[in-house]
Amino acid sequence: MSLILRIILIFSSVFTCVYIQRKIRKSKFKIEDSIFWICLSLVLVLVSVVPQIPSFFADLLGFESTVNFVFLLMIFLLLVKVFLLSRKVSETEDKLKQLVQEVAIGRKEKEE
Amino acid sequence: MKEKKLCIIVPAYNEAESIEKVINNIITNYSCYDYVIVNDGSTDNTADICRNKGYNIIDLPVNLGLTGAFQTGLKWALKQEYEYVIQLDGDGQHDPRYIEGMLELADSENLDIVIGSRFVGEKKPFSLRMFGSKIIDLIIRIKSGKRLSDPTSGMRLFNRKVVKVMSHDINMGPEPDTVAYLIKCGAKVKEYKVEMSDRETGESYLNLSNSIKYMWKMCFSILIFQNFRERKKI
Repeated sequence: MSLILRIILIFSSVFTCVYIQRKIRKSKFKIEDSIFWICLSLVLVLVSVVPQIPSFFADLLGFESTVNFVFLLMIFLLLVKVFLLSRKVSETEDKLKQLVQEVAIGRKEKEE
Repeated sequence: MKEKKLCIIVPAYNEAESIEKVINNIITNYSCYDYVIVNDGSTDNTADICRNKGYNIIDLPVNLGLTGAFQTGLKWALKQEYEYVIQLDGDGQHDPRYIEGMLELADSENLDIVIGSRFVGEKKPFSLRMFGSKIIDLIIRIKSGKRLSDPTSGMRLFNRKVVKVMSHDINMGPEPDTVAYLIKCGAKVKEYKVEMSDRETGESYLNLSNSIKYMWKMCFSILIFQNFRERKKI
């Protein structure tokens, strides 16, 4: 991995942590939801500070260069997150639908 | 007008088998306290039972989880201008006969939170659950210097000042991390010795994967996030 990539990774991880910390401070982020981002940032910092870790796994899995492994890891983690998010959106949409129905039915009953 | 001293909040999710017993006990033996059931979008007939019996119930149309349900109760109690609220689970684990003592303790020492604890001056039995409770106790002690022998107890009494803070914040479930945070905010907390019976009916929410998630969240929340959170004045 090139030095510049490592620096960018560290920088963006630290930025993410600080951003989340500020959101929590203002009570705009649920703790459960922020755990993922903090952990992701920590993993990225670890990967960029100790490049031996990703190159070990890259060798093990037969990647030609370490950076390919890092990209794949990030894509994988993001896919997992997208999947979880889309499940959550479905749930939320369903709850919203039920709520709207409830309000509308309640209103009709009041009119009658 | 009846003096509005204390409101018992009973969060109920699928408690059809036990809710009647719990509420009847309150109505017949402890009628000096008001109560409100918050039905958290139960899928069984908890809500129907409560309505047929004429219980005081807030019926949430969808499931919000314990945090959302309890906060609903807090908001209602705040609007009704109660001085104290206490959480009493709908499964019959918590015995209302301790309410009087907890209330007196809070009143006489001007406390913000009183926790009904099973282990005041007693050794905890050894089980996986108690191990988790010990870890939470330890990290609360590290962070705030306060010893709570039973931090996961759900039987907690809050005064109006704390209720105001808890009723609208996003990260304020009725859980140990909230208590730890409130201690940091300057809330005065004491424990009161109670006995609890085991769950009589229904399934415990704490299976293995939920327990791990719960512990994970508590440790994270108390050890790391508490440092970032804005200290509210109590």
